[in-house]
Amino acid sequence: MRAIGAIAWRELASSYRTATGWVVLALYLALSGFYVGFAVLEPGGPASLRPFFAVSQWLLLFVAPAVSMRLFSEELRTGTLEPLRAAPVGEWAIVIGKLTGAVAFLLTMLAPTLIFPLILAWLADPEPGPIVSGYLGLVLVGTAYLSVGMLWSVTTASQVLSYLGPFFVFVGLWIATGTGASLAGPPLDEALYALSFQLRIRDFARGVIDLGHITFFLAFTTWFAVLTVVALEVRRWR
Amino acid sequence: MIELRSVTKCFGSTVAVRDVSLDVPAGSVVGVLGPNGAGKTTTIRMVCGLIPPTSGRIRVAGHDTVAEGRAARHLIGYLPEASPLPAEMRVDSYLRYRGALFGLHGSRARAAIDRVIDRCDLGAARRRRIGTLSKGYRQRVGLAAALLHEPRVLILDEPTSGLDPAQIAETRSLIRDLAGDRTALIVSHLLPEVRATCDRLVVFAHGEIRADGAPGELARTVAGGHRIVTETRAADEPMVAEAIDAAQLADLSAPESTGDGWVRRTLGASGSDQEQIDAREALARALAARRVIARELRRDEPSLESLYLGIVDRPAVEGDRA
Repeated sequence: MRAIGAIAWRELASSYRTATGWVVLALYLALSGFYVGFAVLEPGGPASLRPFFAVSQWLLLFVAPAVSMRLFSEELRTGTLEPLRAAPVGEWAIVIGKLTGAVAFLLTMLAPTLIFPLILAWLADPEPGPIVSGYLGLVLVGTAYLSVGMLWSVTTASQVLSYLGPFFVFVGLWIATGTGASLAGPPLDEALYALSFQLRIRDFARGVIDLGHITFFLAFTTWFAVLTVVALEVRRWR
Repeated sequence: MIELRSVTKCFGSTVAVRDVSLDVPAGSVVGVLGPNGAGKTTTIRMVCGLIPPTSGRIRVAGHDTVAEGRAARHLIGYLPEASPLPAEMRVDSYLRYRGALFGLHGSRARAAIDRVIDRCDLGAARRRRIGTLSKGYRQRVGLAAALLHEPRVLILDEPTSGLDPAQIAETRSLIRDLAGDRTALIVSHLLPEVRATCDRLVVFAHGEIRADGAPGELARTVAGGHRIVTETRAADEPMVAEAIDAAQLADLSAPESTGDGWVRRTLGASGSDQEQIDAREALARALAARRVIARELRRDEPSLESLYLGIVDRPAVEGDRA
């Protein structure tokens, strides 16, 4: 357990020791803040953070691969995966530790945005439920994105490929479960809607905490974590 | 402490290590030598549990490196080739992180970090980012990390690779110090490296162990005992030939003129039972008895270089590379 903590802490700290971490943080805060200023704090508009959650799930498409790309790719490029694997730590501990570190970065990135509900509460009287569930949705979808990016980063030492791979997967998934599902029609549309991230996020932003949605994101993340462990094992046997 | 039994490792159709068996008793410092691609790094990566053998078994202190990989890895301090380190971390943060991976926390971790920083002379670099350190210092950080949990087995892969001569000398002296009473495997393709630090050599070539023994013993085995190099006046040649016979020696190669009226020759024992006997005294007496002056008379030990080249130049067994 402590080894997982050490790996997670190292990931989090390393994210803030490199320019990439700060650039990602600054861009996300600047873009989301800019959007909140226009769309949420509009005089006469509803006291809701739904526009912020909507834009954040889009921004996460760009942000999550930037966070996950270095998880294993950087270690493969510099050779530091070798001493890590020579330590008495199992593949599961390495994968959980790295994912936890990446999620911790996501949380520290989202933390400054808590200023938005505070400003909203100062100006109006927003419902706290949708804000809490909206943040929960962002963390869940962000974690799911990070798990896909983590799997991709085990497969290549190139951070560029490690960024582009999951980014195009997310965009593809987004299109397939949105426009694609509408165009497909029954019975395929039902299956595609069931995989949709945006519909679930919409529910969270509306204040609906659906156990099915939570289970979906947790199962999705677990599945990609398992695949990452398998990919690490395959690397050992190659 | 380390046992390899009929270990073979294949990567696809390529046989990287073929049927290697090796016993390394506790406390010995073994140099694993061989040219690039000989299978030495693959072998030690298997010992460290980083890759499993295709067949055969490896045990470290009785722990199977596949079935009990974590227990085996706990006993090993490993410095990979080129000492890969995270450039963005500070030395002490990195050591704290490595300690945590080996179960060192709190005061135990602090004491261990202080100990290895002192041992590897890293005090001046303690708070510096690893990326700003010289190669020599980075190598020391790698060594410190390998020693942090006081491993019973130390495995160092090309520990002086890429260092300048001064850093090489420093690192070798540090390794000699650190090996102490540990079992150590030092992998290198450089002879001076292992000669300076090891009491046993294992020479790999084409995925097999081609020689195994103490450095001196191996050199004698291949080169057939020591040689004597002498320089005498060209005018004394007939008496020199008599003296060589009297000392039961023989020319190993044709005598060479040095160009200033002297002749240089390399002599070896003429009988196989004379291999270990130092014949310098007998030769000096025989020359003196004939009033022959020698301006040089020295013992020339057989070189490990000749052993190494002899071993690694031998061709691969049929089918080494499929």
